[in-house]
Amino acid sequence: MTPALWKSAANALLEANLQLTRGSFTLDVQLSLEPGEVLALLGPNGSGKSTVLDLIAGLAAPDRGTVTIDGAVLTAPGRFVAPERRAIGLLGQEPLLFPHLSARNNIAFALRVGEAQLTSAQARTQADHWLDRVGLAGFGESKPGALSGGQQQRVALARALAAGPRVLLLDEPMAALDAETAPFMRQLIREQLAETGTSAIIVTHDIVDAVVLADRVAVLHDGALIDEGTTAAVLAAPRNPFVAALAGVNLVVGSVQNGAVAAPDGRIFHVRPADAAALAPTSSGTTASASALVLAGSDQNVPAAAVFRPASVVVQTEQPRRASPRNVWSARVTGIEPGSGGVRLRTSGDPEVIAELTPAAVADLGLQLGSTVWLSVKATEVSAYRR
Amino acid sequence: MIPRLLYVPASIGLALLVLPLAGLLLKVDWPGLPALLLSPEALQPLGLSLATASISTVLCLLLGVPLAVVIARSTSRVAGLLRALVTVPLVLPPLVGGIALLSLLGRGGALGNTLELAGLRIPFTTTAVVIAQTFVALPFLVIAVEGALRTAGVRYERVAATLGAHRGTVFARITLPLVGPGLLAGTVLSFARALGEFGATALFAGNQAGVTRTMPLAIYTAFNGSGVTTDQAVALSLLLIAVAVIILVLVGTRRASVLS
Repeated sequence: MTPALWKSAANALLEANLQLTRGSFTLDVQLSLEPGEVLALLGPNGSGKSTVLDLIAGLAAPDRGTVTIDGAVLTAPGRFVAPERRAIGLLGQEPLLFPHLSARNNIAFALRVGEAQLTSAQARTQADHWLDRVGLAGFGESKPGALSGGQQQRVALARALAAGPRVLLLDEPMAALDAETAPFMRQLIREQLAETGTSAIIVTHDIVDAVVLADRVAVLHDGALIDEGTTAAVLAAPRNPFVAALAGVNLVVGSVQNGAVAAPDGRIFHVRPADAAALAPTSSGTTASASALVLAGSDQNVPAAAVFRPASVVVQTEQPRRASPRNVWSARVTGIEPGSGGVRLRTSGDPEVIAELTPAAVADLGLQLGSTVWLSVKATEVSAYRR
Repeated sequence: MIPRLLYVPASIGLALLVLPLAGLLLKVDWPGLPALLLSPEALQPLGLSLATASISTVLCLLLGVPLAVVIARSTSRVAGLLRALVTVPLVLPPLVGGIALLSLLGRGGALGNTLELAGLRIPFTTTAVVIAQTFVALPFLVIAVEGALRTAGVRYERVAATLGAHRGTVFARITLPLVGPGLLAGTVLSFARALGEFGATALFAGNQAGVTRTMPLAIYTAFNGSGVTTDQAVALSLLLIAVAVIILVLVGTRRASVLS
């Protein structure tokens, strides 16, 4: 148990204190969610992430523990509110659209039975608005079987939000999508959560989900929360091997400046053109088409993150000549550690950047703690995300 | 990709199923057929069969669907036990079913005595026909629907619940439509089984013209009738086959229109 990690916020929207034992697996988790907040629950497979969501949604009961939302007790000893009375939505890996209903009627179903309780005519009209919001206007008549996996997941998102949940639980919603569709879905979720002001918990083992979607990160391992804090803070100081592996990337959380990402200390990271896309504003109410994703020069100071692998960082002792289109800066060596792919070189800055190089290279360059080095990363090696 | 040797038993199997029906068609007295079919001896059992089989099918739906839901959503141990209990009438010879029904509801039977005191006599009435048909047809419906429910799983129902749908709504708007094809197949099977039911009816309901003499019993009576030719039996059999084919065609087109 790690009570210290449990932020018992006075204005918490959702508070969960869950204990469950199944065979050799024990779950013991305390977490809270503030209104409008998005929490990423990170953890390896089998760590109990999906179980936590089931227990919060009321699809399973803990051995011991409580779940409260807005002060109302949903789960407690002797009390168990059925899932249909919790107003807690769930969007999983699979869209699970009702196969016998059209896209419109899938959403209309949520509008009729959910918080809104609309009549069927109102529900159909509203459902069309929702289809429009997820970029599927004109697909109302389509049966789920006629839609692609990505389109189905967009309908499923609309359906989950249309029900008006007080908290939306997202269980790896991008995991079943291909690499081209996933970023689009991620942006759509970010946009729609923000527009509807929906509080959410997203279970994932993709660092990008945490960076893009979440305000806060909690790390689950073997049924217990082992770390909790802002995404940048948790990843900057990994407290277990899983987080370290997850954080095996350099993460620069900053803001957009002239089409690049500016770090808190002012360093500018140019990113690969294709990913400048993700930095672009996506106008609300419409879905981002490919062209709308191109970075607009006027789009300044919005939160963004740049991500690149330590192996992409080139270390030199002299200032490189032909710099463009590289990111080049100088820093001091603050740490030399063994890493999975050789030696990990920690360098000064906010955030610190880790470079990975062979032991031979470290020796050749004569690197020591405190050495001044020149670091460079090709822009094409840096991916970027709006936050 | 099929080993050629398999075609030999496959052809024999098909012949075994089709040739007797062809033989029946050859025996039909076609010129005399209209008169035979329009006679009261043919129309009365047909009407009784259609009426009782329809009522039995409705009973199967009303009792069988809830039973199938209970089995499908039970723990595996309970489900196994319930499934075994439901399957027994299916593998039982219908004659044994008839004796069993008589033992329970007949004169001197465990429930029969009580009913008799209340002034109710079930054996050898049209009610007995319906009970016998439901007894033999119900397992078909339960097994078909239960299989469909298990295949559909609970995932859609869970999603519907997280959207705020109450259990009744989920059952009517999600569960039932999801098992639609299985429900249709089970209904057709139950109706066909009820329509063809002979053994249990003969023992439990008897063979009284206009009351309990359904088509199968009428065929048996005509076939064994003293001095009567088998023409009547053949004609009635043809009628029963025609009814079965019409139902299959109707269901087939409906199914096609649902899928398109």
